[in-house]
Amino acid sequence: MAKQVIEASQAVAEAVKLCSPSVIATYPITPQTHIVEHIADFVSNGDFDAEIIDTESEHSSMSACIGAQGTGVRTFTATASQGLALMHEMLFVASGMRLPIVMAVANRALSAPINIWNDHQDSISERDSGWIQLYVESSQEAFDTIIQAYKIAENKNVLLPVMVCLDGFTLSHVWEPVEIAKQSKVNSFLPKYNPIHAFLDPKKPITQGPVSYPDTYMHFKKMQHDAMKESIDIIKKVNSEFRGKFKRGYGDGLIELYRMNDADYALIGMGTLCSTARVVIDNLRKEGIKAGMIKVKTYRPFPSEAISKAAKGLKGIAVIDRDISTGYEGALYSDTRSALCDGKSEVGTISGFITGLGGRDITPQHIEKALKDMIFGKGTKEDWLF
Amino acid sequence: MTMKDKINNLSTEEYFASGHRACAGCAQSLAVRHVLKASGKNTIVANATGCLEVFSTPYPQTAWRIPWIHAAFETAASVASGVDKALVQQNKRDKINLLAFAGDGGTFDIGLQALSGAAERRHKFTFVCYDNGAYMNCLSLDSLIMTKDGLKRITDIQLGQEVYAFDQKTGDLALKRCTGIFDNGIKGVFELNTLHHTIKATSNHPFLVLKRDGRGKPHCFIWKELGHIKENDVVVVLKKTRPGKSFEFKPIKISKKGDYKVNKINNLTLPKKSSEDFMEFLGLYLGDGWIRPQKAETGFALPKNTKESNRLIYLYKRSFKQNLIQKDKNYIYIYSINLSRFIDSLGFGRGAKNKIIPDWVFTLTDSEKEAFITGLMSSDGYKIGNSNRYVSASYDLLRTLRLLLQTIGYQVGKIHQQTKKKGTFCVYRNLLEDSTYGYICFSKKRIADISKYPSQTKQRDFLADNEHFSTEKVTSIKFVKDEPTLDLRVEEEHNFVADGIVVHNTGVQRSGATPKYAETTTTPFGKKIHGKTEFRKNMPFIMASHGCYVATANAAFPHDLISKVKKALTKDSVSYIQVFVPCIPGWGIPSNLSIEIAKLAFKTNMYPMFEIEDGVVRITNRPSKASPIEEFLSPQGRFKHLTKEEIAELQANVDSEWNRLVKLDDAQIRIF
Repeated sequence: MAKQVIEASQAVAEAVKLCSPSVIATYPITPQTHIVEHIADFVSNGDFDAEIIDTESEHSSMSACIGAQGTGVRTFTATASQGLALMHEMLFVASGMRLPIVMAVANRALSAPINIWNDHQDSISERDSGWIQLYVESSQEAFDTIIQAYKIAENKNVLLPVMVCLDGFTLSHVWEPVEIAKQSKVNSFLPKYNPIHAFLDPKKPITQGPVSYPDTYMHFKKMQHDAMKESIDIIKKVNSEFRGKFKRGYGDGLIELYRMNDADYALIGMGTLCSTARVVIDNLRKEGIKAGMIKVKTYRPFPSEAISKAAKGLKGIAVIDRDISTGYEGALYSDTRSALCDGKSEVGTISGFITGLGGRDITPQHIEKALKDMIFGKGTKEDWLF
Repeated sequence: MTMKDKINNLSTEEYFASGHRACAGCAQSLAVRHVLKASGKNTIVANATGCLEVFSTPYPQTAWRIPWIHAAFETAASVASGVDKALVQQNKRDKINLLAFAGDGGTFDIGLQALSGAAERRHKFTFVCYDNGAYMNCLSLDSLIMTKDGLKRITDIQLGQEVYAFDQKTGDLALKRCTGIFDNGIKGVFELNTLHHTIKATSNHPFLVLKRDGRGKPHCFIWKELGHIKENDVVVVLKKTRPGKSFEFKPIKISKKGDYKVNKINNLTLPKKSSEDFMEFLGLYLGDGWIRPQKAETGFALPKNTKESNRLIYLYKRSFKQNLIQKDKNYIYIYSINLSRFIDSLGFGRGAKNKIIPDWVFTLTDSEKEAFITGLMSSDGYKIGNSNRYVSASYDLLRTLRLLLQTIGYQVGKIHQQTKKKGTFCVYRNLLEDSTYGYICFSKKRIADISKYPSQTKQRDFLADNEHFSTEKVTSIKFVKDEPTLDLRVEEEHNFVADGIVVHNTGVQRSGATPKYAETTTTPFGKKIHGKTEFRKNMPFIMASHGCYVATANAAFPHDLISKVKKALTKDSVSYIQVFVPCIPGWGIPSNLSIEIAKLAFKTNMYPMFEIEDGVVRITNRPSKASPIEEFLSPQGRFKHLTKEEIAELQANVDSEWNRLVKLDDAQIRIF
């Protein structure tokens, strides 16, 4: 099928339509709004049979998704920044009730000072909420990842909600050629939703969301954690199945490698900055520096084994964070370092860089500086690149 | 026509199973049961976080026989929105009744936004608000409470009984009526010790603590929760009660010669009221005596020709107008069915390890109490200098003796307990088994001469010049264990004397639905502010202005509630039903009165029953004659402190709200 030049927000909306969720809860927030606007267009034109609930807050959007998914139908919602922060309470409820909700997050900085532009602080702040987090680099990847997300979330060994994170403006508002899959093909990849534990049916009454005492609570949390770990294999499987069907894939579904075969140094990052990094790496190669990139697509569960394997024997790694764990260092940097402390990877230097907060452009120069600082031993664990 | 059909076509099916963990007398659980009967089997419930969710779904059990979902405190309406639309997509919307349940917090306060949004989006479900509110704190079950009728276990306190309290304005000892007793379930209990007192209470139970305000400023007392009290904090304790009077004994059945199975009669005259001689006799008896009513035997372990046995013979003659001759070398025996029965009737019939000082002894005159203690001391007591020591195997006896001594101005140290191993040589013989006994030391309290060094004396004991109370430093606080707890509510002063220490009665926290002037721990009754200062939100009108069908109902009138739920479920948008459900612990009412109080709310127009349909108000039930609101307020501890003016203000508010409803009902015009 021919490619269409569309906005990434529309690509997400098209993918959502193809996955046919029954209930979509919406509340506008920049830069996510275009996604739900496109979906609303589809529904009002009769192209998409779904119920839209225009709630009065993101908190209620997530609650409505919990209610609908708990009734036994597929759901979708999208948000960003303050909206995601307002949902915080309900994110834990959704994952704790093991409801396979899919949500798009158009990443945006958190207030204060208020700022509508991109960084990863909003979704990184929800990394412990029990949601699977997938970060995407391009419109096509956003489109493909939404479809994969439903398949991952609804797998009976996973049953966890999935957040698909795309950079606000730098991706959400960018027009790119996207190949939109055929409905029949999506249907053959993603079967009809068949709830096995979450449904409200008077014929078979169940109680969802009971109170759990100290004797059981911890067991629920352990099961949730085990399911999250289990999802590592499922994400890989879904990615390769997707590649078989649609002839596109993103690494092993967890991480994607760029020029890593003979690399001495690697850059680790997430989202659109990886596109810029590809150009920088090509240029460094021309200078004779053997650089490569490990793009982290799946941030939760954290693919520590895959990263450790890919980084084995590297002389140095530069981790770029578009977030800051205030008072410490970048979250991706912390996770990477702990993953590489497994005694197997034998990596030389690991440096961390904070950049691109609140929509600050990440230019090729930023990335080149990060890599070179690391290579020439000037990197620390949290260098701020303004 | 079957019985089933007669009553509102009610199903005999139960959709809310019994065996859940609601308080006895919980009105909310009754209302839930009736609401579900109205909506029937094909019902889905979206529930907000609250006591309903907690007591009905402790994993892995559930009381819900219909599909039920709970997410968070403020999300009953938003979760129901999602369920509503999912049902539309499943083509099941017309077949299923959807209900959203929340308490008044999940409706009036944190849940209001989601409810307003859902109403505006015209989702199809019925939102039921169970309108109640509040939480509380308590004492251990073996707490001993100082009452007008003597020392009582907290479990034996009756409603209306007068208990001793600390008058916070005058510092005087006051008698106040107990207006509520609550069972608060099993909670963690802590033991607080001062030099002369010990009490067990939950960590949130308030005590009266001295607050020193520094040089030049007056000291004052504040209520502090046990969990916030530290060692060396100073609490208010009882020093001395007012002298009582002689106790008149209840007559017992007197057996005569010739009665069935009666052969030991010994014609003695039983005293009609207490006297110093008789109390000293009982003191000696409590230490060294026993009764075996089945053998008509009363005995004393007193060897012949000792000071104690001679004293007993003297006291016996004075008390029973009869001579007593000791025949045995080591024991004194009296065979009289009437005497042993009489001693038993006075509460002195317990075995050595369970001995206790009966409550009536606490109401005697000071000299009778002193005589009783003299008797006790001549049995198992001895003197070391100015200090007296009393030994007993009964912990309860020591505990009650300690409190008795404190009512007549003795200072008493803590109860020391010791265990002697089997085989230890003790009192002329080897012990046959491990033996635990305890002792207390006491001495007359020195009266501080406050005129001489006023500030120093006051520094040591802020209440030094107070006749009835003094202050003592807290020496230790430690966790004991989880055990059943109770609490009392006391009129006006809201405090009482438990185990000799002044403690506060229960508390309640303010919610958006708390009525004006209701006392809560977050809106306490103070000199300046009397309870909650605002009237309730008018939620029914707020919801009616969203264009909803609105009805108020009352747990005491289930058929009305059922009809209103049935009507609400026929509507195509959000309907709102607000049910009045008294809360046993929250409102400080006995568990058998919740429906009575609910009825009073209706009879006094405190909680009018009306509906608003298509914007038109209609009163559904009217009391034949409205009662004054005191009838609703007075059984509830939370309104105890109201002044006449405040009651009048509340009455005026109830009247004006009611008159507005009546006018709207008369006019029958669309107002929303």
